[in-house]
Amino acid sequence: METDEELVKRTLGGETDCYGVLVQRHADYLFGLGMRFTAGNREFAEDISQQSFLRAYKYLKSFNTKKKFRQWLTGIAVNCYKDLSHKESQYLSLEVIDEPSYTPDLGGNTGFFELIKPLAEDERTIFTLRYVYEYQIDEIAEVVGLKPGTVKSKISRALEKLR
Amino acid sequence: MNRLEAVIEKEKEISYSQRDKDLFRSHILILIHQEQESKKFIRKLCLALFLAVGTLSLLFSQINEIANDFTVGLSDAITGDVLTTVVFSYGLLFALLALLKKPDFIFN
Repeated sequence: METDEELVKRTLGGETDCYGVLVQRHADYLFGLGMRFTAGNREFAEDISQQSFLRAYKYLKSFNTKKKFRQWLTGIAVNCYKDLSHKESQYLSLEVIDEPSYTPDLGGNTGFFELIKPLAEDERTIFTLRYVYEYQIDEIAEVVGLKPGTVKSKISRALEKLR
Repeated sequence: MNRLEAVIEKEKEISYSQRDKDLFRSHILILIHQEQESKKFIRKLCLALFLAVGTLSLLFSQINEIANDFTVGLSDAITGDVLTTVVFSYGLLFALLALLKKPDFIFN
């Protein structure tokens, strides 16, 4: 099986279909990330996933093949989540409605979605990456484009809110 | 804190699946192709406009001279610089149109 980095190189070489393999490989991961960032909003999560893949393709040349593709993709997903949540008021209206917008058969942990709802946008992403995906502080800092110290303080603030 | 840890541990065990993954992949690839085609079209359009403006200005730069020659005498007009310019302009136009029909040659 080809690695992500090899597929990126082939995509950049003009084999666009190789990007399809990357999409197939990381679709669940990005969707899950979106579900957790949005506290279970399926439509929003799917939009984040789609926009992330499109943006990743657009900026594929800037990807450093010495680094992990998934981590790079995570950074893009975080930015897409921020951009979309600012732009799309439709998602806000969905959150206002006191009904779960996710499909129950997903087996989503409603406890987790309820847990992270009081958190601000950036706290949610950082908290999720740290505790669910077990990213290291330095990795999170790189992904979200903040200093490690800032990431630590945001995690502390998030934990205080949740206690 | 225990409740927090329990919720997180439970969440870690859950895996989410993108609906219709094959369809999703095709959709992404179609959007990418559309975007690429749209960019190519805009570049072609810009090039075509540039060529059209260039060719027309080349032709119209001689229009006064042609008009004068026609008023003075038709026989003089079909000679010399004007004829050369017209041949050159149309030659250039056809060459560029031929190039436009081979976009791969220009854009890839």
